Amino acid sequence: MATLNYPKIRRAGRWFDVRRRRLGMWAYTLNRITGIGLVVYLYLHLGVLSLLARGQSSWDSFVSLARSPFYLGLDVVLLAGILIHGLNGLRIALTGFDVGVRAQKALFGILMLAAAVALIAAALKIFGD
Amino acid sequence: MSVPHVIVVGAGSTGAATAHDLALRELRVTVIERGEVASGTTGRNHCLLHSGGRYCVTDRESAIECIDENMTLRKIMPDLLELNDGLFVALTEADFAFKDRFLEGCAACHIPARDIPVKRALAMEPYLNPATLAAVQVPDGVFEPFRFCLAFLATARRYGAVVRRYTEVTDFIFSGKSVTGVKVKDRRTGETETLGADLVVNAAGPWAGEIASKAGVSVPEVPTAGVMVTLDCRLNNMVLNRLNKPSDGDIVVPQRATSVIGTTSWTVEDPDLITIPPEHVARMISQGEQLLPPVRKVPMRAKMAVARPLIARSGVDAREVSRTFECFDHAADGVNGFITIAGGKTTTARAMAERVADIVCEKLAIAAVCQTRDVPLASYRLFYQ
Amino acid sequence: MISMKMLEIPLQIFRYREGEPPHYDIFTVQVADTAHVIDAMDAVWATRDRSFTFRRACHHSSCGSCSLRINGVEKLPCITRVMDVWDGHAPVRLDPLRNFPVVSDLVVDVSAFFQRMSAAGMTITRSAEPSLPVSVDNLAVTGVLSRPVEVPESLSRFNRFENCIECAICMSACPTMATDEKFLGPAGLAAIYRARQKADNPSDVAHLLGLADGEHGVWRCHSAFECTAACPQAVDPAGKIMALRRELIARRFKVAARAAAVVPRTRNYSAPAGPTKHGGNGA
Repeated sequence: MATLNYPKIRRAGRWFDVRRRRLGMWAYTLNRITGIGLVVYLYLHLGVLSLLARGQSSWDSFVSLARSPFYLGLDVVLLAGILIHGLNGLRIALTGFDVGVRAQKALFGILMLAAAVALIAAALKIFGD
Repeated sequence: MSVPHVIVVGAGSTGAATAHDLALRELRVTVIERGEVASGTTGRNHCLLHSGGRYCVTDRESAIECIDENMTLRKIMPDLLELNDGLFVALTEADFAFKDRFLEGCAACHIPARDIPVKRALAMEPYLNPATLAAVQVPDGVFEPFRFCLAFLATARRYGAVVRRYTEVTDFIFSGKSVTGVKVKDRRTGETETLGADLVVNAAGPWAGEIASKAGVSVPEVPTAGVMVTLDCRLNNMVLNRLNKPSDGDIVVPQRATSVIGTTSWTVEDPDLITIPPEHVARMISQGEQLLPPVRKVPMRAKMAVARPLIARSGVDAREVSRTFECFDHAADGVNGFITIAGGKTTTARAMAERVADIVCEKLAIAAVCQTRDVPLASYRLFYQ
Repeated sequence: MISMKMLEIPLQIFRYREGEPPHYDIFTVQVADTAHVIDAMDAVWATRDRSFTFRRACHHSSCGSCSLRINGVEKLPCITRVMDVWDGHAPVRLDPLRNFPVVSDLVVDVSAFFQRMSAAGMTITRSAEPSLPVSVDNLAVTGVLSRPVEVPESLSRFNRFENCIECAICMSACPTMATDEKFLGPAGLAAIYRARQKADNPSDVAHLLGLADGEHGVWRCHSAFECTAACPQAVDPAGKIMALRRELIARRFKVAARAAAVVPRTRNYSAPAGPTKHGGNGA
């Protein structure tokens, strides 16, 4: 009796399909996407820091690039990733130790609201200066 | 000498228990089932492990079978039963007048019955109609028909039986006047196959007539459907029955966090597609409400209907038809190697199977004794492993 | 005679046969407006296509065999009303459960699931915690009644079946099940939790906690909470996984291990076991 067994890659890739999924799954997927984003950023960051080793002129040219609005926008995106991943991570840590499991949806709401507030304040600061 | 091969058609309670008994007697058994286990009548039954009280006045033969099998099932499948006893409740003067005959019937059928004070009944069942006039406690219980069948089949498999689901019998193979096997089709793949057998047992419930006709014989069966309504919360701890002769909607069986009210009775042409009449559903609610007044406040979780395989007896009302079972040896109709078992209920499936297996062994000239009363059933989960 | 309104419902059903790629068939069947999805599936099989295969037995959420996805969401079709999932024009889509091999059409191979449930070893009966509603006016809340219920003399206590009907809906909804083939899954871990609550000797407890603490146990859960949301029986597997984690951590720290131990308690993190929306979209 043969069976249809979807290949592992396809199955594993289902985590980012949030159609028809509930809040918990959205949080899960958001955490994964921000997590991957932050790992990618880490490599970029190390790459940037390595410019320091190449002397003052390459560092200076990088810093002038970093002041551009586009780059500042990326910084805001990075901050969003940090806030979402960090605050949701707090929720996951708490519920993972059986604290506030009943309130996991409310916790997500409150923490993401805090993230949004912090992000807006930070964005204003970043673009305001 | 090669081991005889018996094919059992149907994996409801009858087929499952029969396969189990035959496998324990060391015959080679193949069960052919066109759907999932218990996807026919058995799956949608009322889940009542009868004490026999329901039949002790009108059908004592049935009642005695029930209480004996009730006690046997408690031994062989102890972890698959909700055992909270049951109450037969009198709500009207007519019910109350029935009590003496009921107690007499229970005594005659060795059913342990206890006439308990109404106050105590209401203390055990807080949602029971406070206008209850009398209550008699009996050893009713609750089972799950699906796991019931799985447990018998898992044990049968352990003893070598093969169960083929999603496989339907399309034809019989004959050698002269004897059935020597069946042609089957695997519904999953469309492939057909011929299986040889020394005997074929037709345990297809209300579809037994359809199977029998493929062998050129008929079975006096009247597919009789009944509706049950499942409520979205549990209102009773124990099984509640009306203290009177059997009638529609006179039982409420609790299970997990639900209560199931049943049942009704009407003949159906086609057991494959039954439309649930809304007036039957309404009747279940109003009948259930008499035993448990909060019934009407509870949303309905599910409703189900399926045909029971009642045996036709000319000139008798369907409800009064005996609920015992019958074994038809079609040699009497000129077809050897083929028997049909019809009627019965899940509570007495093991006993039915014992009778069938005795007949099978007699026909195949095998001296093997029934062991199913004492062998505890294997875990139902093993069926799928 | 109560009149019945009949509907013409289109169903878009996943079909699969060995050796052929899967496809969808659309069937339109006539059912009553009060019908459940399982009735519509029956109508397809009886009147449109006899080769349509699907699992079912009890039609009242006790066997757990009919579970599938309706419009992409895991549900039991026997307790899901057609009118609750049909918008009036688009076909109602039926797909098999995720994370299990598809045998044919909507039938999946659940042997791996039952292996896990056997490993957990939970018996499906329990001594009865209150399942009756606390009052007639509030049937949604179950718990201890204001006056204690007396138990019949013939019994030492009431008993009943566990909430879990082994429908594997939680296993389909769980994203970790897709990535770890040996993950015990929400159902397996919830069963371990219940078995541990009922275990009365230390070696059984140690064995169960060892399974939970193992490579494919509680630590694989990444808090999607889809299992608890999808469960039609208010089992709350996520809550049970977290409760097991708490016990494991407490034991590791050897801090008040007995106090934190998972003794029988009635706290439940999902919607109360009582009138629920059909299909289990609570919590």
